[in-house]
Amino acid sequence: MPRPATEPAVVSPYYLGLRNRERLARFAAYVLLVLAIVIVFFPLAWMATVSVRPNLEVTRMPPDWIPEIFTWEPYAKIFTTPRYLVVFANTMVISLVVTALSLVLGAMAAYALARFRFAGQRAVLMFLITTQMFPLVLLCIPYFRIFITLGLYDTRTALVIVYLTFTLPFCILMLRSYFLNIPRDIEEAAMVDGCSRLGAIFRTLVPMSYPAFVGAGLYTFLLAWNEFLFAVVLIESWENRVLTMAIYSLMAEFVTEWNMMMAFSVLASLPLVVAFIFLQKYMVQGMTAGALTS
Amino acid sequence: MSTFRNRFRDEILAYSFLWPSLLILVALLIYPLGDVIRLSFYDSNLKRETWVGLGNYVALLNDPLFWKAFGQTVVFTAASVVLHLVIGLGLALLLNMQLNQTFRSLARGLLIVPWLLAPTVAGMIWVLMLAPFGVLNGVLARLGLIDINFAPSWLGDPSTALGSVTAMNVWRAFPFFMVMLLAGLQAIPKHLYEAADIDGASGLQKFWHITLPQLRGVITTIVLLDSIWTFRAFDPVFVMTGGGPAHASEVLATVIYFDGFQKLRFGYASAEAMVMFIVLFVVSAVYVRRTLSKEQ
Repeated sequence: MPRPATEPAVVSPYYLGLRNRERLARFAAYVLLVLAIVIVFFPLAWMATVSVRPNLEVTRMPPDWIPEIFTWEPYAKIFTTPRYLVVFANTMVISLVVTALSLVLGAMAAYALARFRFAGQRAVLMFLITTQMFPLVLLCIPYFRIFITLGLYDTRTALVIVYLTFTLPFCILMLRSYFLNIPRDIEEAAMVDGCSRLGAIFRTLVPMSYPAFVGAGLYTFLLAWNEFLFAVVLIESWENRVLTMAIYSLMAEFVTEWNMMMAFSVLASLPLVVAFIFLQKYMVQGMTAGALTS
Repeated sequence: MSTFRNRFRDEILAYSFLWPSLLILVALLIYPLGDVIRLSFYDSNLKRETWVGLGNYVALLNDPLFWKAFGQTVVFTAASVVLHLVIGLGLALLLNMQLNQTFRSLARGLLIVPWLLAPTVAGMIWVLMLAPFGVLNGVLARLGLIDINFAPSWLGDPSTALGSVTAMNVWRAFPFFMVMLLAGLQAIPKHLYEAADIDGASGLQKFWHITLPQLRGVITTIVLLDSIWTFRAFDPVFVMTGGGPAHASEVLATVIYFDGFQKLRFGYASAEAMVMFIVLFVVSAVYVRRTLSKEQ
């Protein structure tokens, strides 16, 4: 029996077909993403190009992308001035100490919260989450008064202590959520095999959760490295200054030395960007873990 | 004694690991909070303290600058959060398409970079770009949009100062949203879309009926977090405008800082900080309840 002829579908000349439409959408996605990268990098590129030109060129109108005279002088000046170098050393030492303290103390607290059910657990968790919402400017007033009383005003120790207010809760919560996903049987097996509790923790839990340590450590380092408010309130002298503060005071000091300030900014951002390139995976895990699992 | 030990075995073990962190956090957060509450009832500079009861709070109610800053903080926060969400979601959707693996991870990595910068550094770059002689005016002049001899000062003009600070803040912090939303998108089960395809759903329908509902949890979380973080932000405004010109970009954090550390009115600044704390506490309470209820 002859089949009834089906009406041929009317195809609009603008109809691309499913496959071509997908291809076009993907092409548009590439274009848009490249465009986004260009826009996002515009300020960064500007920072870089201003940092390698003489200051006279910075205020010239209209501004040019390529410096007429290319010079490393701003960088040379930073690297040969001891009072600038000490700022880098301060920031590095403070950030490293804060990171180490936060990870050690944070891991201990996270272990307690992940492995035991105890009276007050919910209250502790609630307290930890709330601390991350604290207005830090509120804390400045008592900190300023307390550290003057304690004789710790204008010391790097004071900064290490106060940075723990926001790094420690973050480390505890992030490590805890990672520990929760590691079965406790593994530690218990190690303890049955004759390990002490601490031995079991160090042989099984800590090595197994190294991604969480790297992620939390990197983010903690970034928070400490970039902190500004507490540094402004608690530090006075140049020899105790940190980077963010030094860059800010350069604006007041040499109103016009933009090339120096941008060189400083490049150097202040570089360690974070380099660390991020190598540890991107852990850092992204760390960023997402906090908000997705908790 | 040994029965006591057995009964509270978990408590003893847990607190033996917890106490250093708890001690530090109580000393650094609870004690200072108590101090600020006490101080808010005093007229205080560094040398002497006089009890004024609710005096600071009454003065606060009649302080137009404080309420101006309060309003501007709300505007700054709302604008930042909405733009973070729109830009972050747009880029996350693009990154979630079937792209070349290398390109995708490279693009994601590059787009995160602004978020690594200190707000101070980011602020400085934008101060330079937005200056009258800055590159933004250069670009606008080249496009013929402004006259180079009457180049605007974006941060020096009260009508554009707060907007400029917001723009910087959007540029620096959108990657947080992008990364979180991308992770959220990748966690949506594929079969939901396959089922929708069989039913002949359009792209827009799939976005509206699958993507958005599936992302609701992540979006609520990051919007709450970002609102809190932006509401309490100090660095961007302090570095870029110092609250000026004529307080046009003043926010709560800068007002409290200036009252406390420039005018040395610690009691009054404490009262202001308490108002800020209460607002943040209400928002935090919502966040904490959400987070803890998910745990159960």
